Amino acid sequence: MACLHDHSCEEHDCSSDWSLYKHIDLSKVSALNEAVSGSVKSVFRAWEQRLNSSEGHLESNEGDPELIVFIPFTSDVKIKSISIVGGADGTSPAKMRVFINRDGIDFSDAQSMQPVQEWDLVENLQGVLEYQTRYSRFQSVGNITLHFPENFGGETTQIHYIGLKGEATQLKRDVVATIVYELMPNPSDHKTRSETGGGLSQVE
Amino acid sequence: MVLEATMICIDNSEWMRNGDYSPNRFQAQADAVNLICGAKTQSNPENTVGVLTMAGKGVRVLVTPTSDLGKILACMHGLEIGGEMNLAAGIQVAQLALKHRQNKKQQQRIIVFAGGPVKYDKKVLEMIGRKLKKNSVALDVVNFGEEDEGKAEKLEALVAAVNTNDSSHVVHVPPGPSALSDVLISTPIFTGDGEGGSSFAAAAAAAAGGVSGFEFGVDPNLDPELALALRVSMEEERARQEAAAKKAAEEAAKQESGEQPSASQDATISENVNTGTTEPEIKTKDLMDDDNALLQQALAMSMDESSSAVATRDTEMSEAAADDHDLQLALQLSVQEGTKDQSNQTDMNKLLGDQSFVSSILASLPGVDPNDPSVKDLLASMQSQSESQQNKDEDKAPKEEEKK
Repeated sequence: MACLHDHSCEEHDCSSDWSLYKHIDLSKVSALNEAVSGSVKSVFRAWEQRLNSSEGHLESNEGDPELIVFIPFTSDVKIKSISIVGGADGTSPAKMRVFINRDGIDFSDAQSMQPVQEWDLVENLQGVLEYQTRYSRFQSVGNITLHFPENFGGETTQIHYIGLKGEATQLKRDVVATIVYELMPNPSDHKTRSETGGGLSQVE
Repeated sequence: MVLEATMICIDNSEWMRNGDYSPNRFQAQADAVNLICGAKTQSNPENTVGVLTMAGKGVRVLVTPTSDLGKILACMHGLEIGGEMNLAAGIQVAQLALKHRQNKKQQQRIIVFAGGPVKYDKKVLEMIGRKLKKNSVALDVVNFGEEDEGKAEKLEALVAAVNTNDSSHVVHVPPGPSALSDVLISTPIFTGDGEGGSSFAAAAAAAAGGVSGFEFGVDPNLDPELALALRVSMEEERARQEAAAKKAAEEAAKQESGEQPSASQDATISENVNTGTTEPEIKTKDLMDDDNALLQQALAMSMDESSSAVATRDTEMSEAAADDHDLQLALQLSVQEGTKDQSNQTDMNKLLGDQSFVSSILASLPGVDPNDPSVKDLLASMQSQSESQQNKDEDKAPKEEEKK
């Protein structure tokens, strides 16, 4: 499931593969059980910056290692693999379960629902490990929820970087917004331009 | 204007029959609930509010989170008092009700009215609090009614466990003449909503007074967008003025601390006098136009005023009654504001500069020995200060001339 990043990066540009962070709707990213509200937004960066957590990292509350990260995208994406850089001293997450296209998952939902896929993570402080997805299930992802139920024994769970590799389509997954429903059709609601005395009407 | 879904937990236990809040605890609580519902729905039209009861036969949800104020007010009718309040179950059911809210974008909040005694111990409550915090639910507790030993402590611990970033509050309301809802209006439970809460509170107070005055003269029901636009611009204006006032206050404070080298131990007293006299100045600055030149003038005058406070320092030192005519003059000059004559100031300074005059004043004061070394030091520093004052005044006078 995990592959080591052992080739030299001159052959292909690694950073472009990991560019799904550009399609993340950062304003709507949220996390549950984070110690500092809003710190989750700092873990999405470019591949080259993955070890540079000068702007802060995501940490769970004291004594409670569970974390949920909700990531919406600006358009539907296909996700090939995920990379997580955790913290040292047992604060790295040990397991990851993901859910796709579900809004508002909280801890009781996450624990009872069957995830789309789950992985056992290892400590990945250098950010060289990536976890591949079952690509067929990750074909049109509007938002993804990551649930980290355990860590390696630390008091809190720390996440310094979350990287997503894949492609972005241009399709937007829009919620049905304003639609007028008709119980009975009323012709007066649907006047064409010819009837209202407007311009030329085409006869086809 | 936070988008919020709120669950209000009402206590309808036997303890609510008591009349120490007028007319009785239950009525006072009902009024407060009505007020809160109105405030929440007004501050953001998409806010939803739900109500549940904690006592009676068991925890019962009266209405699930809805933005329909009429439904909420209607469900408060015909409630029966009885049983014992079950705080833990009430909070948990409220959390469940919020979890299934229709609009997942809303923030979750629970407001608990705790009138009866709390039978759960602190640890259980703290665990509940941590669970709420984990699921990012905010909690407000209104502690009124029974004053059980440990009840206030338990509720404080509960809210402390939930609190992140000051989003959760506990309010203790002792029985008294004012109504429960009036006391709550000034608490963070209302004003924690941000601007919307406080403006609603003003409207509510007006409505309670019998005047149906709408905020800004526009009925929010008839024209919500206009009311919203007016309110937002009002808040922006208020924030801008506050920022300007704060800046002016900072500048004035800096000027003062620069003026007085604190040689004497009475520096604190004189500083208090200074802040006392410059505060009204600052308020007048607010009221004036934000004209830069006028502001400079006011600052200059406050600086001059601090020099006259040196004279009041003498009077403060001895706490002498103002029998002495010169002392009276000094006091008058320092209390006066706004209409000070420039020449008057320089006269005063010249008087102060005259060391013999000052020492004669000091000799006339009881309890002050002019031969005391500390007094001599003070005189020396005052003289140098008044000289520097004179120089500054002379500089200021030509500057004022230029500006004018």
